[in-house]
Amino acid sequence: MEEREMTKKHILIIDDDADQRLTVRLPLEAAGYQVSEAKSSEEGLELVKQLKPDLIVLDVMMDTATAGFQVALALHSPDPKSEYKEYRNIPIIMLTAIHTTTPLRFAPDADYLPVEVFLEKPVDPEVLVAKVKELLPN
Amino acid sequence: MGLPKPGGETIDHPYLTVTQTEISHNLVEAELVASVSWLIKLRWIAGAGVLLATWIVRSLFQVGAPFAILSGIGIAILVYNTIFFLYERRAKQRGATTKEFRSLAIWQTALDWIAMTLLFHYSGGVESPAIWYFIFHIIIAAIFFSRGVAFLLSLLSILLVGGTVLFEYLGWLPHRPLQNYLPVSLYRSPIYILGVLSFFSTTAIFVAFLVGSIQERLRRREAEVIQLSENLQRATLRLQAINEIFKVISSTLDLKQVLERLVGTTAQAMGARACSIHMLDKSGLYLEPVATYGPSDVNIHKGAIDALTHPLAKEALSGKVVNIPSAPQSSLFQSPLESSREGIQSILCAPLIGKGRPIGILLAYHEEPSYFNKEDEEFISAIAAQGSIAIENAMAYQAMSELDQMKSQFIHTATHELRSPVSVTRSLLRTITAGYAGEITAQQKEILERATRRIEFLQKLIDDLLDLAAGKVGGFMAQGTQPVSVKEAIEKVVDRFKIPAQEKSIELRFEWNCLSNGLYVKATVEALDRIFNNLISNAIKYTPNGGQVVVTIESLDREVHIAIKDSGIGIPPESLPHLFKEFYRAPNAKEIVAEGTGLGLAITKDLIQQLNGRITVESQLGLGTTFHVFLPLAAVEAPTLSPMEELR
Repeated sequence: MEEREMTKKHILIIDDDADQRLTVRLPLEAAGYQVSEAKSSEEGLELVKQLKPDLIVLDVMMDTATAGFQVALALHSPDPKSEYKEYRNIPIIMLTAIHTTTPLRFAPDADYLPVEVFLEKPVDPEVLVAKVKELLPN
Repeated sequence: MGLPKPGGETIDHPYLTVTQTEISHNLVEAELVASVSWLIKLRWIAGAGVLLATWIVRSLFQVGAPFAILSGIGIAILVYNTIFFLYERRAKQRGATTKEFRSLAIWQTALDWIAMTLLFHYSGGVESPAIWYFIFHIIIAAIFFSRGVAFLLSLLSILLVGGTVLFEYLGWLPHRPLQNYLPVSLYRSPIYILGVLSFFSTTAIFVAFLVGSIQERLRRREAEVIQLSENLQRATLRLQAINEIFKVISSTLDLKQVLERLVGTTAQAMGARACSIHMLDKSGLYLEPVATYGPSDVNIHKGAIDALTHPLAKEALSGKVVNIPSAPQSSLFQSPLESSREGIQSILCAPLIGKGRPIGILLAYHEEPSYFNKEDEEFISAIAAQGSIAIENAMAYQAMSELDQMKSQFIHTATHELRSPVSVTRSLLRTITAGYAGEITAQQKEILERATRRIEFLQKLIDDLLDLAAGKVGGFMAQGTQPVSVKEAIEKVVDRFKIPAQEKSIELRFEWNCLSNGLYVKATVEALDRIFNNLISNAIKYTPNGGQVVVTIESLDREVHIAIKDSGIGIPPESLPHLFKEFYRAPNAKEIVAEGTGLGLAITKDLIQQLNGRITVESQLGLGTTFHVFLPLAAVEAPTLSPMEELR
């Protein structure tokens, strides 16, 4: 049991909405992942350093409409002097309602929006778990 | 723009009022330059004439005379004329002043008169036939100079003639008669002398008077014509300026641009050194500077003006045009604010009146005292009236745009605020129904699924409401319309509904009845998508299994006609008038599909109207419905006839 706990993959949820965090946390825990939560971009970036998670689930709109983008850009910055350079390879799943609120269309983009997956809210728990499994094999 | 003054100077002020006497004076000066060269041309003839006459008299008529002296006079005339000719040419080249031309004229006249007097003396004095040539010189002088000078010169000619005759009579000067011309003794005959002198004198004076008067009248007429044309030019300029301001009004709705163009055109049209607009602020207490035109070194009102206490502002805001000829001395300038405004003397101030109440003031400045006249007052008043309309329009437009902006912002915020809790609630319900929160009973699950359906409907309602609101404020057009291909837009929607149609065994057909594939309407992709998504999804929704939905497109003269025809349940006639109203749903539609927001067609109609199109519907209950959409064509590409093109 102890050993199993050690090998559990660690997922960090960064989202200002507690209910939204719960809907992400429950299916992921049920799927056997260890889950931590951050309530803001700042706390999220802090926890990334502390916990070194295997994957991040990130909300776009938090205290500002683009807070999630800022976090993703900071984490995946190609700058060799970036303070997050050790965490550059942590995959990010971005949760967004932006498609329904603006005519803008986003797609993962190595330069500008360096995230692995976009998921549209409301997120289907099965889809979420499937995407996580894809990004975290074994 | 200015009137070119003779002598190269330019009058800068286009509306400068020049009096007729000034113009007359200027005309004499202007003529002087032309007259000098005219006179030089004449003198070639005169010099040559003297030589020719001497030769003729000597060889043809055997009249005895001091031919050497007479020829000498002729040659002298030609020689000094050559000098004048060269001098005049150089003077013109280097743009000599009027003064130089005047002294040139005086020198010429002086030498001519000496030559004339010598000619008179050596051709027989009182017996000389050349005596009448003095008349030419008087005429020339009258043309050259003013009437007074012409009179003086006619008196001079009388003196010269009289003096020569008298001296010869008294024997102080030798008499040089022409031999074989007249009885030699005539120069001693007092009666003859008296006769010649009196007739010569009266002729000289009368000619001077006559030519001088005619010349003066001509000059006066010319001055009148010049003044008239100048007035006309001034009026034209002002009309042009007002026209320019009309253009300003119609060319932009941007407040800043309107204000800037207004001060610019006003200053230019009036020849003002600077121009500014001050608008009353919201409190109505201060006049804030909103636009200035002119060099920055000109000290004009750059700060706010107290509308209640400033004497100039008070007077102007009461609806009067205020003309201050000398600002430092004006009682309207007691406030210490003006102390910095040295340099500016003339100030003209007109009220800007919008909807009957003052909204600001328009000011024009000039360093010269008493620069602005009565006409300027009328002019600035007209400009201010036109300008006020432009400013009011731009202000209304700005207020509208701001309101629009606020609405869009509100909708954007509301979108997020309303959608997130609904979306999270759905996710929460889903985690339970999917079993992530532990086992639930079948009944619990059914209840949760009901709750999910209601929340999904709520989400749809919110989406539709926000679309409707976004449509009303042009949210769908936020990114600006551009020519969008009708074929592409509709094909995309039709493709999207292929599977739902198959599920109900509905035949969904798209018929393109146009020669050209490239029909474009001015729209946004989002708006067209939303319109046809609503109409085609309705058609499929309300058509029973095994039915038919046909979308046809035909191009008309100036618009494109899209028809969405279904073999569905139809619409009851009494429902037709309400069909496009918000939240309205026909009773038979409610029977088939229980949940519906009743907003789809309202949104559709709104969007179509925003694209300057129209929508109509025809329906037979139980047989089917056809929606007709007409959208104005933006562009039509040449027909695509090649089969290859067709395939592509």
